[in-house]
Amino acid sequence: MWRWQSSRTMVVGIAIVVFVVCCVLPVGYLLAVSLGGVDVYSAVVLDARQRGLLYNTALLGTGTALLATAAGAPLGIALARMTLPRKALLRLALAAPALLPPYIVGLAWTYLGGSLLSDWTYSLPAAILVLSLVFYPLSMLATEVTMRRIDGRLEEAALVIAPPGHVMWRVTLPLAAPGLFAAALVIFVLAVSEFGVPGLLRVRVYTTEIFTAFAALYDFGRAMLLALPLLLLSLIVAAAAAALLGDRLVITRRTAGIRPAFLDEWRRPAMTGALAVLVVALVFPVAVLVSEARGTRSLSAVFTGSGDAIANSLVLATAGATAVVSVAVWLGYARARAVGRLGQMADILFIVVFAVPSTIVGVGLIGLWNRSGPFGAVYGTDAMLLLGYLARFVPVAALALAASTRYVPVSHEEAAAVCGAGWLRAMWRIVLPQMRLGLAAAWVLTFVLAFGELGVSILVAPPGEATLPIRVYTIIANTPPSHVAALALLQTGIILAPLALLGAAVSLRPSARARGEVG
Amino acid sequence: MSTVQLSVRNVTKRFASHQALIGVSLDVAAGDAVVILGPSGCGKTTLLRLIAGLEVPDSGEIWLAGAQVASGGRTLIPPHERGIGFVFQDLALWPHLTVQQNLDFVLESARVPRDSRPLRAREVLELVRIDELSRRYPHELSGGEQQRVALARALVGRPRVLLLDEPLSSLDPELRATLRSELARLQRTLHVTTVYVTHDRDDAAVLADCVVDMRAGKIVSATNTSRKEEPA
Repeated sequence: MWRWQSSRTMVVGIAIVVFVVCCVLPVGYLLAVSLGGVDVYSAVVLDARQRGLLYNTALLGTGTALLATAAGAPLGIALARMTLPRKALLRLALAAPALLPPYIVGLAWTYLGGSLLSDWTYSLPAAILVLSLVFYPLSMLATEVTMRRIDGRLEEAALVIAPPGHVMWRVTLPLAAPGLFAAALVIFVLAVSEFGVPGLLRVRVYTTEIFTAFAALYDFGRAMLLALPLLLLSLIVAAAAAALLGDRLVITRRTAGIRPAFLDEWRRPAMTGALAVLVVALVFPVAVLVSEARGTRSLSAVFTGSGDAIANSLVLATAGATAVVSVAVWLGYARARAVGRLGQMADILFIVVFAVPSTIVGVGLIGLWNRSGPFGAVYGTDAMLLLGYLARFVPVAALALAASTRYVPVSHEEAAAVCGAGWLRAMWRIVLPQMRLGLAAAWVLTFVLAFGELGVSILVAPPGEATLPIRVYTIIANTPPSHVAALALLQTGIILAPLALLGAAVSLRPSARARGEVG
Repeated sequence: MSTVQLSVRNVTKRFASHQALIGVSLDVAAGDAVVILGPSGCGKTTLLRLIAGLEVPDSGEIWLAGAQVASGGRTLIPPHERGIGFVFQDLALWPHLTVQQNLDFVLESARVPRDSRPLRAREVLELVRIDELSRRYPHELSGGEQQRVALARALVGRPRVLLLDEPLSSLDPELRATLRSELARLQRTLHVTTVYVTHDRDDAAVLADCVVDMRAGKIVSATNTSRKEEPA
């Protein structure tokens, strides 16, 4: 028994150490340096410039959270409570924009708006619109998951008394409200953490100012001072979201009972709305990029010229996804098997760390690793990019894998232990094989996120070692749009390819009814 | 002879490969209590859900108080307009509403004037003997108290037909016997037409004017009975 426990403690302990070093230490270092700095007073008492930044940042976050929720929540309700044709495929397509790097959608917007909406193209409302198009799937998926966890009998009990609209308003939505609100808070945090879109659309917010202070003015002290209010804002809002969600993040068991499709009378307007969102958020940006890229003389020359960046991105994203999943699987396991407050504290920590804006992670990593000695040997190499991926994506992968672990009953592990298997053997032969789909999904998700990562990469990448996102972002200002669009399109294609394969698999799979399942 | 309040005529229902009901017919006179007995999976709950309008029959007809409410593949009158009170097996009390608010939801939906609602709610809460619990949330109640709230919620709208889906199945034997007697008392007091689904013959002995036996989606017997009094 002791040996079984000790191997588990050792493996999980190593994962926790990696998590602390990669994810917590850069932020902790930044906080310590900022709070211990000589001019903390000016970070607390805001001057007019700071107030303007705070106002823009808060407006960007609030506007995006509201607009993304307004678009996403009704779609989530439709997916959860309506009988829609090809629902799995529709869900996949509607979720796809969340995987696109926001600056790609922003780039498409500048090409579209450049000629049609010149005054409006580079503005705060435009940034809100672009970020809402990228983040609405988070609200949609959170709403659907929340609604699926509501016991259908609670709605049926109301349906024998009141009409469907009244049931939705008085029973379903109040029960789903905490999940919807938490998703809106997460979107708020992601929007205020975004660097690419405000930078591209020339909106002054904290993330762009931090980047300018660090990369253009080489003023590390000011960058850290600017990071403090944004960091505190992100951490407080993320902690509130995590507390609202409670144990729901990881508990994956569905409630007993059925899910009545009582909103079917609104199926036609819902389908029309879903297709309209899909066209605006996915089809339109891709079509604009295709149209712009057609102006290039030689696609092969464009791709050959950026071949090193493409290869770098593919290799680094592959290595990054593998490293992230290798750490996150043990953290997810520990979270899934934790009970009571410890588990909820872990959720809050994961969400809070994930919410740290990418530019702040980048500045923190540089502050921590750019020094003499063994740290210096790492700085200036591709390992910094891997550290960046670990810092940004381990928390979200750990949460996803914790949910996956919950599907494997503890009794399976206990049965293996009773049969004489050590913990590692039980994990290798019993638990991990049952999690293979979750592991594959976490790997693909991390690969896609790492492949599109810009905020950390642009700060920590060694000189001359550009990834594809850095190449696209840095050539926007001085390269023909057709060239940039072609590269952005290639990036979009690589990101959407796994999703398209999944879509093909889903559409070929026989429906539940055809399989003879009672639904 | 009493008028027929509920009539199920040759109803069939299939879920994918599972034939849930096969040509089921049943008449219930106004004010009578019918207890449907049968093993798990025999179609008892499906029959109740069809009567409530939560499922649509593949074929056959369902009539309530002289009006046709469902006919082969079609809902003619939606669930909330059928005048049904339903006690679910897991009770399905809305967790975000207090006892009073659970009842108010029914009264609002029935368009009972606002000033009459407190009196209506108090009457029914007194009837089920939990009038002091109106401000509590469901999770603050014991199992027996929750059972009484579910019953109060089903009765407060003065339904034409009361449907109960194994409402006592999760209770310990002592509480079960107590509530069974209370249900019998209420049914006698209110004369509400009742369809009660159970697999417990003791329930049938105390509650039923007629006991219907179901097996594999079919009614195999229907026997008129005289109720046995059970000490409250």
